[in-house]
Amino acid sequence: MKRRRFVLAMLLALAAGVFAGAGTLAGRGNDKTNDPPAPANTKAPKVTPQQSNEDRLIEGQKRFHANCGRCHAAPHKFPPRMMATIVRHMRVRATITDEDMRLMLAYMTQ
Amino acid sequence: MNRRQYRVANVSPLNQSVTSGLGGLAFARVLFLFVVALVAACPSLYGQSQTETDAFDSIKPVPVFTMGAGFITQFEGGTPNLEPLVSPIFLVPIGQNWLIESRDTFESDLAPPPGGSSFKGVLDKEVDYLQLDYIANPYVTVTVGRFLTPFGIFNERLYPIWIRDLQSDPLILPIGVGPSNASTGAMLRGGFNVAPAIEVNYATYFSTLSTVNRWDSSRAAGFRAGIFLPKPRLEIGGSFEHLLQDDRTNAFGFHAEWQPNAIPLDIRSEYARSRNGSGYWVEPAYRLSQAPVWRDQLRKVQVVARMQEFFTGRVVDDVLPPVNTQMFEFGLNYYFRDDIRFVSSYGRQFAMQGNMNVWTVGFTYRLAVPLGHGDIQ
Repeated sequence: MKRRRFVLAMLLALAAGVFAGAGTLAGRGNDKTNDPPAPANTKAPKVTPQQSNEDRLIEGQKRFHANCGRCHAAPHKFPPRMMATIVRHMRVRATITDEDMRLMLAYMTQ
Repeated sequence: MNRRQYRVANVSPLNQSVTSGLGGLAFARVLFLFVVALVAACPSLYGQSQTETDAFDSIKPVPVFTMGAGFITQFEGGTPNLEPLVSPIFLVPIGQNWLIESRDTFESDLAPPPGGSSFKGVLDKEVDYLQLDYIANPYVTVTVGRFLTPFGIFNERLYPIWIRDLQSDPLILPIGVGPSNASTGAMLRGGFNVAPAIEVNYATYFSTLSTVNRWDSSRAAGFRAGIFLPKPRLEIGGSFEHLLQDDRTNAFGFHAEWQPNAIPLDIRSEYARSRNGSGYWVEPAYRLSQAPVWRDQLRKVQVVARMQEFFTGRVVDDVLPPVNTQMFEFGLNYYFRDDIRFVSSYGRQFAMQGNMNVWTVGFTYRLAVPLGHGDIQ
């Protein structure tokens, strides 16, 4: 019995370590993505604010279908303040990431 | 077939005498370590979503009332049952980080008494969840109160009547979720990216023993973790629950769901095991939106099937089948809109105590309205 508890405790501690490590990795990954790509002989494409916003909406649409479609038929759009509450509810219920939630809200309130 | 399931064996006051002990203490310590590790990891993570402000920060959320409702007629072994159900949900956001959410269920299972012709039944009332959520940072949400036990995916995500593709519960649903499918205590949960195309989600909880009517729960702790790949739209994960009362048994399970990008197909599956039994279900659902003919009508049609098996364990639980059971169901749903649909299914159950047919037909509806001005002023 004691041995089983010990194994259980070790497994959970390991899971905690994995989460902590994953978090650190995510932070690093984010730092990398924030760095501007700088290949020697290529010019970085100019991105206007309008293009950037369009990209966000396209990405939001993708995340909306990927996340909502995991459980139910994609709903129609609701008023913005109502949508803000619903995505918060779904963030908790379906453990949606903060980034996905923001992109989905941007798409659903455009 | 009543959807609410009760595990009365676990909520006797006598259980309180066995709630303290080495196992519970060790588990509490490990959970504490888990919380510390999460909090320690957060500062390095926090920058990920704080680089820009967007619509999320400028829109003030408004309280919302939403509701799932349905009227299902089920013929089980030739006996008709009428099952009206209403499930109101209140969502009350407070500021940018808090949310109070509650869901209640009012349902009845009306059946004719032996020899009678009129339908009779009682109204069941249940508080499914009443919880306070605090979004501590992009990676951790703290929940206290009564919440749906995060074991597998069906209980938390697929249970509402307007979401489920087939109206019957999977046979293994009671495994790992406790009485009334809910827990009372505290929970940490969240989701984050570990790579651009890999998302991790988790939920870990501690539940206390409660014998209060409609608030019953077991003393238990557990966690669920999953990996979601947004590109192939594939999620896999596992769940674990350790009961901190009675014989302190464990339950574990795995889940998977996949929505291929090329075709409108959903495949969901769960496996669960405890000392009370084990089993699995696999449920593919296909929307006929790519049909070559009559696309306007056929895109609203969904065909769904579920194959499931249950194997008895060492101890019989009154909310699980008493003998090994197999069941196959086939369903046909028609979406008038995304919130109103006609549902129907046929199932055949195979068990040593006798085989039977299960027919289901009905309507489901979902309502959502803001309790205030929904638009930005």
